[in-house]
Amino acid sequence: MDQLLPFTIAGLVTGSIYAVTASGLVVTYTTSGIFNFAHGAIGMFAAFTYWELRVNRHLPAPVALFLVLFVIAPLMGALIERVLMRHLDRAQVVTSLVVTIGLTVMLIGLAQGVWKPEARAMPQFFGDGGFRVAGTFVSWHQTITVILAGGVAAILWYLLTKTRLGVAMRAVVDDRNLASLTGAQPHRISMLSWAIGSSLAALGGILIAPVLQLETIILTFLVINAYAAAMVGRLRSLPLTFVGAFALGLTEAYMIGYVDLKGFWQGLRPSLPTLLLFVILLAMPEERLRANLGRAAGGKAPRVPSLRESLIGVGVLVAAAGLVSFVLGAGDIQRVSQGLAIGVIMLSLVVLTGYGGQVSLAQLTFAGFGAFAMAEWGGGGSIFGLVLAAAIAAPIGALVALPALRLQGLYLALATMAFAVMAREMIFVDKRFFGFNSSLPVGRLDLGPISFDGEVAYMLLLAVVFGLVGVFVLWIRRGPFGRVLSAMGDSPAACATLGLDLTRTKLAVFAISAAMAGLGGALLGGVKSVAGPTDFEVLQNLPILLLAVVGGITTVSGALIGGLSLAVLPVLQERVPDLAGIVFLLTGAAAVSLGRNPNGIAFFLAETFGRFVPWRRGSRGSAEAEAGPPATEEVRKVAVA
Amino acid sequence: MPSRKPSEPAAPPLLECREVKVSFGGIHALSDATLVADRGMVTGLIGPNGAGKTTLFNAITGLHPPDTGLVRLDGEDISQVRPHRRARMGIARTFQRLEVFGSLTVRENVLVAGEIWRRWSKNNEVDVAAQAEELIERVGLRHLARERVDSLPTGPARLVEMARALATNPRIMLMDEPGSGLNEAETDEFAGLLIDLAEEGLAILLVEHDVELVMRVCKRIFVLDFGRMIAEGTPKEIQRNKAVQAAYLGTAA
Ligand SMILES: Nc1ncnc2c1ncn2[C@@H]1O[C@H](COP(=O)(O)OP(=O)(O)OP(=O)(O)O)[C@@H](O)[C@H]1O
Ligand SMILES: [Mg+2]
Repeated sequence: MDQLLPFTIAGLVTGSIYAVTASGLVVTYTTSGIFNFAHGAIGMFAAFTYWELRVNRHLPAPVALFLVLFVIAPLMGALIERVLMRHLDRAQVVTSLVVTIGLTVMLIGLAQGVWKPEARAMPQFFGDGGFRVAGTFVSWHQTITVILAGGVAAILWYLLTKTRLGVAMRAVVDDRNLASLTGAQPHRISMLSWAIGSSLAALGGILIAPVLQLETIILTFLVINAYAAAMVGRLRSLPLTFVGAFALGLTEAYMIGYVDLKGFWQGLRPSLPTLLLFVILLAMPEERLRANLGRAAGGKAPRVPSLRESLIGVGVLVAAAGLVSFVLGAGDIQRVSQGLAIGVIMLSLVVLTGYGGQVSLAQLTFAGFGAFAMAEWGGGGSIFGLVLAAAIAAPIGALVALPALRLQGLYLALATMAFAVMAREMIFVDKRFFGFNSSLPVGRLDLGPISFDGEVAYMLLLAVVFGLVGVFVLWIRRGPFGRVLSAMGDSPAACATLGLDLTRTKLAVFAISAAMAGLGGALLGGVKSVAGPTDFEVLQNLPILLLAVVGGITTVSGALIGGLSLAVLPVLQERVPDLAGIVFLLTGAAAVSLGRNPNGIAFFLAETFGRFVPWRRGSRGSAEAEAGPPATEEVRKVAVA
Repeated sequence: MPSRKPSEPAAPPLLECREVKVSFGGIHALSDATLVADRGMVTGLIGPNGAGKTTLFNAITGLHPPDTGLVRLDGEDISQVRPHRRARMGIARTFQRLEVFGSLTVRENVLVAGEIWRRWSKNNEVDVAAQAEELIERVGLRHLARERVDSLPTGPARLVEMARALATNPRIMLMDEPGSGLNEAETDEFAGLLIDLAEEGLAILLVEHDVELVMRVCKRIFVLDFGRMIAEGTPKEIQRNKAVQAAYLGTAA
């Protein structure tokens, strides 16, 4: 057992870092009611800033540390609160999630722009010095980490329980109006909590960077471990958060030390925190249905087009694709194909999120299963491959949804993300699947007499498929199931009081949406003709949700705009390599602007140009969206009064 | 349908709440709420702001089940039954803070409720589309049927909720301040509609601040103050009740 001590120490150190980071998350959440997805990104950015001051500018460690922890990070937090979060409708889970995801993506872009990717050494505190305990070397950095975690715990405990400010901080999230009645100023308190949260994120980032690696993505996603810890305390309890953090840190360390994972179980180690997150989420008690949550996603949607109109739309799309094929080179055509395939995946979000109000960060993962089905059973492009892609993804979607059904909004989103991580680390890399560091050939559809193997043919095929899936989505929307979905998205509480079994409805919409994503994945695989685990990275789920929302989560055209942007934006980056990170920055900025205008680009375009389109006039079906904005305000006011 | 006295032992009252308690953290929103509401009449539930009326509705519909106490429907204890099950037993409601389906039109709002009802009631004979049209006509929203509900002012939006609730063919309907947002003429029409519905046998439990409306349509009135039932009686009795007057005066700003 001579291994016990070193691994215990390692576990305590990691646990301390998780605890610091997670407690920052808890502080912002309890006070502002917004789950800060960008918490890890803030920590990452602060760690880079520290490196810049300490290494590049040669400032002494205490000065650099002071500047980052007590000046830069708090300012950043306060600024984020003031500019982005203050006006966010906290009830709109999807919007607030997307805005913080957008902030994440933006900070990554900013960091990659400022600090060009290269190997950087992050100095430890007091260099490599340390001491020995019973023969085990303990560095000063490790010692300081544990001491700092203790200090953070003590300070937060004192602040929250012993000061009037702390009591006010805890009151704000429960009832803003009540808090302001008691003389507290919710905005200032909220701003302060974001400042403290950012500072803690910064500390976590600075402490872990030397141990891990000073790299944007790695540092940003370390926060998932903090989520798991914070979730132990249900995002509210600091003591439980600390318990969770240390349990997680120690388990990880002991697993490295004692458990020899083989084969399938090798993926267990990287996905351990996520697994824990998943388990904790599943163990959470069912949330009460609350009235007055407001619509989960999107603002207003433009009116629903009739069947005739949507078929005309498909014609226009295919014709446009045909025209484009004369202008573009093969590489660019492939880009467009890719955009259309991603568009199909985004259409799955229109049904799930736009209509049904459920959030998923696993659509690309469902797509991965679809691509695998196509590779495995689609042979040289058999149509059965496509059918199977949808048929296999559907039950997987339902399976993910099944345990997550009791969860709503944020927790549901985190559970789907946890699933995405586990699928990536444990299933996709398995040799019976894509295999580690490998990939499988994916055929393009071949209908015997007609083959879609050529670039132009494949792009036209994708335009047709996107169009048909779009028609399918609108057909759902106009029918009874679509009405129920929209109703559920608008007000789950009202649906329940009408006798709707929300569980079954959610199961159904997850299955349908996953099937669509699976089909999209099979088609996406065909674009490059190969697919592997790296094509379905967990991270890539973020821009998919982001751009779907930016495009317009409630509309088919929004999915088209989103898909094409996601595929085409990187071209910009390739052409102008100096602007590394510009894609991140652009998508992030767009998403962040959603806080002010949640309707998306498609809605804007429809509002602006819709009235000039002749065949839209006098159509049957739903009401015109233009009717009386002032009246809307009135309903809103009553709803928040 | 003739009205019965709620205390008559022959048949249990349709809805009965007994000593319902609900607290939020340390605050007792309801400490002792007892009431009955029966078929064929409008029962009033009044009380100053913050008395706990909406909280009681949430306890009855299951959105926030009571901590202790009983909610009985037709004699059966349903206090721990899930919301959608209660709805299927015949409880419908409207919301004080609107919970309309804003992205749907008025017609779709009522239609979707009918479709949900058809699925759980397994009743395939009723044409829900026709039923929706009738209900829209009945609450007087025909001219707005094609409007998206998020573009409606409060008054009509409340009527949408009412039509939507009726589309599930309930036995009892709980209405949380349906009158706010209606003008005088609309209120008159609305009062007539409530009385008609009650005459058809529906039980209605009405929360309303418009005292005149309450006095006009209610057979019995229950008064809630600080989470406690402080009075019960006919409109006349309530108007004379000292405790009620004190409660209203005491909280008047
Ligand atoms: N979700 C909640 N969390 C905490 N307190 C609540 C909650 N809902 C209601 N309360 C409190 O419970 C009490 C009763 O509220 P309720 O909304 O039931 O009153 P009401 O009689 O409907 O008032 P009004 O006439 O203003 O609608 C109030 O003090 C209110 O602040
Ligand atoms: Mg109320």
